[in-house]
Amino acid sequence: MFRALYFKEWKEKALLFFFEMGILVLLILAQFVFREKKDIQEWLIYAVLMLFFPFAALILGAAGFEAEYRQGAWAYLFSRPVGRGTIWLAKFAALLSMLTALWLVFAALWAAAPGIREIRAWPMLGKAGLTLESVIPWWSILLSVFLLTVAFSLSLLHERQFNILFVSIGAGLFLPAAVWAVMNSRAGGFMAWLSPERALPTFLVCLVLVALAFAAASILALAKSDFSQPRNLTFGFVRWFVPFLVLALAGTAAWALLTPVPGGRYLYHFAFSQGDAYYVTHRGVFKYSAAADRVQWLAKGKSFGFGWAMDSSGGKIAYTAYDIKSKKDIEEVLWVVNADGSGRKKILGRGVRENEWPQDVSIMNLLMSPDGAKVAILSSSYRNKPKARRSPPLWLAYADGTRLESLPDDPALFGDARAYCWVRLVAWVQAGTSVLLEKRTSPSPSSFSLWLYDLGGRTARMLLDNAVTASWLSPISPDGELLAVKYQKGLKGPWQLAVLDFRTMATTDITGSAAEPQGQVSSQISWEPKGTRIAYVSRRKQAEGPDVYFLVVYSLTAQKSLAERRMTKTEGAAQLYAPSWTGDGARIVVLDREANGLRIFGPDLNETERIAFPPRMGPPYGLTIVGNHALVQDNVTDSLWRCDLVKKTWKRLY
Amino acid sequence: MSELLRIQHLSKNFGRKPVLKDFDLTVESGRVYGLLGRNGEGKTTLARILMGVIPADGGEVSYKGRRISFGDSAYKREFGYVPEDPFFYEGMTVRVLLDFNARFYPRWDRKRAASDLERFALDPKSRVRTLSRGMKLKLGLAVALAAAPEFLILDDPTSGLDVPTRQDFLRDIIRELAASGTTVLFATHMVHELERIVERLLVLHGGRLIVDEDFEAVKARYQASLEDIFVSLVADKA
Repeated sequence: MFRALYFKEWKEKALLFFFEMGILVLLILAQFVFREKKDIQEWLIYAVLMLFFPFAALILGAAGFEAEYRQGAWAYLFSRPVGRGTIWLAKFAALLSMLTALWLVFAALWAAAPGIREIRAWPMLGKAGLTLESVIPWWSILLSVFLLTVAFSLSLLHERQFNILFVSIGAGLFLPAAVWAVMNSRAGGFMAWLSPERALPTFLVCLVLVALAFAAASILALAKSDFSQPRNLTFGFVRWFVPFLVLALAGTAAWALLTPVPGGRYLYHFAFSQGDAYYVTHRGVFKYSAAADRVQWLAKGKSFGFGWAMDSSGGKIAYTAYDIKSKKDIEEVLWVVNADGSGRKKILGRGVRENEWPQDVSIMNLLMSPDGAKVAILSSSYRNKPKARRSPPLWLAYADGTRLESLPDDPALFGDARAYCWVRLVAWVQAGTSVLLEKRTSPSPSSFSLWLYDLGGRTARMLLDNAVTASWLSPISPDGELLAVKYQKGLKGPWQLAVLDFRTMATTDITGSAAEPQGQVSSQISWEPKGTRIAYVSRRKQAEGPDVYFLVVYSLTAQKSLAERRMTKTEGAAQLYAPSWTGDGARIVVLDREANGLRIFGPDLNETERIAFPPRMGPPYGLTIVGNHALVQDNVTDSLWRCDLVKKTWKRLY
Repeated sequence: MSELLRIQHLSKNFGRKPVLKDFDLTVESGRVYGLLGRNGEGKTTLARILMGVIPADGGEVSYKGRRISFGDSAYKREFGYVPEDPFFYEGMTVRVLLDFNARFYPRWDRKRAASDLERFALDPKSRVRTLSRGMKLKLGLAVALAAAPEFLILDDPTSGLDVPTRQDFLRDIIRELAASGTTVLFATHMVHELERIVERLLVLHGGRLIVDEDFEAVKARYQASLEDIFVSLVADKA
């Protein structure tokens, strides 16, 4: 029965279909006629994608129940032994296959003419995120299927095809436009966390759900309402459509709020302290308690900034967020919250110290003092303003919100305003009397220097030139007295690992020394919880063949490597090994992509066990050990996974 | 004779106007029912409700003991329906229309369809849009009969037929159907035609049946023609 109805539709609409196909073929032929004129080709392609397919879909859809109305055949059709759902589906399938046929012809052109595939940037479209990609333009396909569904769903309500066409254009274009406007307007400030790469997928999800709402309302109206009474039919449609539309919009909002988009950067910050891990996503600040295996929502939020810090005792967290009133009225806010989620306080932002904090800068990064009483803030002022007109780059904000003070500028540290040159606050050192900063000094090859800013004397001095912290997250030893650094002997020399003692300001080489003679560090280093040993991956040259990689455990007290284990993998993998000590200092966990799991070693580097990654996890990176649990991020979705190292089980936390 | 169809408390309104009110009817298999009613009394509405074309506002319909509801379609394989206005897909040819219908009915009788085309002088190659109203009615009859229905609903189909065909239809086809055990519900306002074929008389007035009785008994009681009986019944109730 389905087939009979399907082919009946094809025969009925054949004339219309071939008319549309004819126009498409003419447009395709024009591509070849103007093959030397790229700008005309580009306009023609966009005419096909933005005008031809949407209107072809609208016209096909509006003709859905045209024959039943025009020829009065609806009573005849509905008296046949066939369900109305089948009638709807067969008609829709026929129309959809016609649209698909049109798309296939266009796809053949797409495949046949590489020059057309390369057309990408039409400025207006590019701004809206609707660029023509080198792959199939899904947005145009989805838009045309959406319009087909809308027009077809409405076609059962009225006998005049043109009326249906105009209503469909209104409903089909107005609804998506309204959604797009809400997502980007002042009213949509609550969704301002949407990053550009997220906005288009959200919009497309909205199209799919609204199309389903139209389709469901249409099927139900056809199945339940009296076709002989147009008002009754229209009322039936509206009665079904309104709740479905509400559901579709709620579904869009839920999708946008809850679903991470592959490739999006949504796990903004990550830190751990005293057996707990803390992380920020677009939904707020979260704490993962390893002992309770529980995630706690410390602070809810909508649009987080790039600043984030935690004091070394794990008592307080400072983070930045955006207070969005409208598209043009966005202000950065600095919050401080206790690590248990209590006592959230606004330190900077709308209504708080607005006169003291410069309006034309943003917060680059933050550091919380070890006692949690102060927040050191590095502003963006040094990057975009000549020194004479800029505000001070370094600030101290009191965590109780009582004071905000600027620190004197230092031309040697902040004087270089070139784009490649940036400064980062690394750690609060020397018992809270100084802050350590890292500065990028040249672009290629990259070079860095380490600086100390004395908060008492309010002066800066360079500690090491041509040096960089050996770990992004935890270069400082657990007692706060030692700093692991990587430095280069000469501009083209290998990177060496060394330890800087803040008490004596003396530097001790680890690699390149007599005890650990060769190699350069290829991974993040990890401090053993007591601070007497470090683990890292060393890259060593061989007399012949490619470089080899060694996992090394080095004793700072004995000043020699205690164990070494050759890791057979490539450099790319070596950088991801990220060795991490367990909390009791009895084991070292290594993330090994090529072994597809976590590898666990004793301090002597004998491998004790392996735990395979779960099948659903994407390529992992960023290993952190919290208690008996390992936290790993998924490089594709940015979701956060927890591995119970005792039970060897995985769970997705975010 | 067994019960084929039972209708209980059926109601249907168009806007605020009630057409069927608390309508009850029991149809036994193998009989020819004549449904009489003035224009607008609800004969076509009843036929459309039974064929699932429009929904009822209330009441129940059971076919062979099973309740049927709006949206069910399986029972229609055993139903034939010739509407008052025979609208088909105008672009189809007679043959294509028959082939299209053949897909829906498991008991489709191709030989019967071919012989009826011949009987009604219908050219299989003719497009539906070229047929006159009478020819379309004949085509509707051919479609309904080829489906070999157990229950045939004829919604005033004879008004557009020429006299020879009407006589042929009334004399031969209906009798033939009755003889083969097909139950027929013949709704019309052309009383005199019904007289020759009806076994049980149904008179619809004011949304309800005011007569549901064997025709012979009615005739014996009133001692008059069906036309006179119908006029007096409707006048009494008016």
